[in-house]
Amino acid sequence: MAAPAASVPASRRTLGRDRRQEALAGYGLVAVPMLLFLVFQIGSIFFAIYISLWKWGPLGPTGLNPFRGIRNYQTILSDPIFWKAITNILYYAVIWVPLTMAIGLFLAVIVNQKIRGQTFFRASFYFPAIASSAAITTLFIFIMGPEGLFNGVRQALGVNPIFSLFGFPSNYNWLGESRTAMNSIIILNAWTTSGTFMLFYLASLQSISHEVYEAAAIDGANAWQTFWRVTFPLLRPGHYFVATVAVIGALQLFDQAIFVGGSGGEPNNALTTPVLFLYRAAISDFNFGYAAAVGVILLVLIMAATLIQRRLFGQAPSW
Amino acid sequence: MTAPAPASAATPVSLAPQASGTAAVASQPVGDRGARTRRILAYVLLIGYALLMFVPFLWTVVTSFKTSPDAVRLTFIPDPITLEGWNAAFNGLSPGLIQLFFNSALIAAVVTVTNVLLGAMAGYAFARLRFPGRELLFILVLATLMIPDQMRLVPVYQVLVFLGLVNDNPTNYLGVVVVLAISASSIFLIRQYFLTIPRDLEEAAKIDGAGFFTTFWRVMLPLATPALAAVAILQFQGTWNGFFWPLIVLQTPDH
Repeated sequence: MAAPAASVPASRRTLGRDRRQEALAGYGLVAVPMLLFLVFQIGSIFFAIYISLWKWGPLGPTGLNPFRGIRNYQTILSDPIFWKAITNILYYAVIWVPLTMAIGLFLAVIVNQKIRGQTFFRASFYFPAIASSAAITTLFIFIMGPEGLFNGVRQALGVNPIFSLFGFPSNYNWLGESRTAMNSIIILNAWTTSGTFMLFYLASLQSISHEVYEAAAIDGANAWQTFWRVTFPLLRPGHYFVATVAVIGALQLFDQAIFVGGSGGEPNNALTTPVLFLYRAAISDFNFGYAAAVGVILLVLIMAATLIQRRLFGQAPSW
Repeated sequence: MTAPAPASAATPVSLAPQASGTAAVASQPVGDRGARTRRILAYVLLIGYALLMFVPFLWTVVTSFKTSPDAVRLTFIPDPITLEGWNAAFNGLSPGLIQLFFNSALIAAVVTVTNVLLGAMAGYAFARLRFPGRELLFILVLATLMIPDQMRLVPVYQVLVFLGLVNDNPTNYLGVVVVLAISASSIFLIRQYFLTIPRDLEEAAKIDGAGFFTTFWRVMLPLATPALAAVAILQFQGTWNGFFWPLIVLQTPDH
């Protein structure tokens, strides 16, 4: 693939020129995208690490003695709010990822059957996924408020005695109380994202050959056995892909948290996530060095999670 | 509603009906009556779940025509029907709703065009042209998929400040655009599609005396229309719904 040497036999000279032109065309076509990637993606990692070692404001290093070394990291790791954010996000990830994967897989298996109105069901299950996080969270705040649709429906259904058994009054504010705020966000995101996971699983389901199902049928397996013994294990690449995407997404929870709880992660930091913590340091406190350090920690966390999953579930998917 | 069905290159799923293996197993005769009851029960559950997906949206539309005291009531017909809410949304905001929609549409349209154009260029080069360092550059592109947006917040914001693309209308729009101008997934999707196009077509073009750019522009690009359309749809929807980068870069009252 290397460019040909300077002196080539006359017969091969045109070929060499061709090669050189091809390489030039290649560099020309990738130049602009690669420049943008280098500045805004690859370069930003190194720049973030550099900034994280300083006391840094919007206009560069600030203060008399701006170099802080690893002290930004020390401050973060001894901040109880940061640990609250980590606990919150781990709780969210541990519940939301399996829940949403299970719903997505269930929906995919259902709409993969020969059923009437298959297109309608696929479209309607995917429907919440196309709404923007801003629009759907606003809608959700409206539904879960003290006088919202959810409280109205349980009133109309007469199930309030059951709810009061658990200490929820009839005008309970689901997003405004710390013990239910994060759980409500989990339900919101399971609702909106299960359609996307359904699509991923559908792609994976359709790559399973019909022959294995025929073999299972000949062996007398019922639908339940076929699912657990044949479909589920054969979906392994699909599980790996969906789980990876889900965990990376979960650790970056931000939009819904800031819409519901503002930049303070209200109520009572129940909705403070690492990204919200980072946002607060950067935009509210203009403490860029500190925020960059949080970003580096987040990057390490996400890469660690991705590597652990790779170890646990093995090979990357083939598609 | 545009379900991203044309995105066949990335997710080989269409929303069209398709026979499947599990169906053959599931619909084995179990006895006519039992099967029918189960079937009806299954449809009731499916329709119920589909309604659960739709009702909140329907509820929002209905409520938008209600008066404030009526809005908390659990009725599906507004009484009285009013356009107050719509009036407030269109005339009560500053800047106006039309302006806000225009902002989103403008940014989404520009970002879609740059992604399709730059994605096609880089996708073609990575799929077809041979040049030293190609594999390394492509791995770098893919690696960017792992970098969380939020980690980039501070350095990218800082670079945009250096370039003078923050806080200064209208150049801050340019700031959002350069950050989102090209994504690795656009390049990847288009590259994968180019790989499936037979080489014969390029060779024919070459014999006819076309150079690399002519071949790319006149022969390959038209053939890649499905992939370009998929990228355009995904990018437009993603950018239109985007919140994070506009929030960061357009931190002025007039976003």
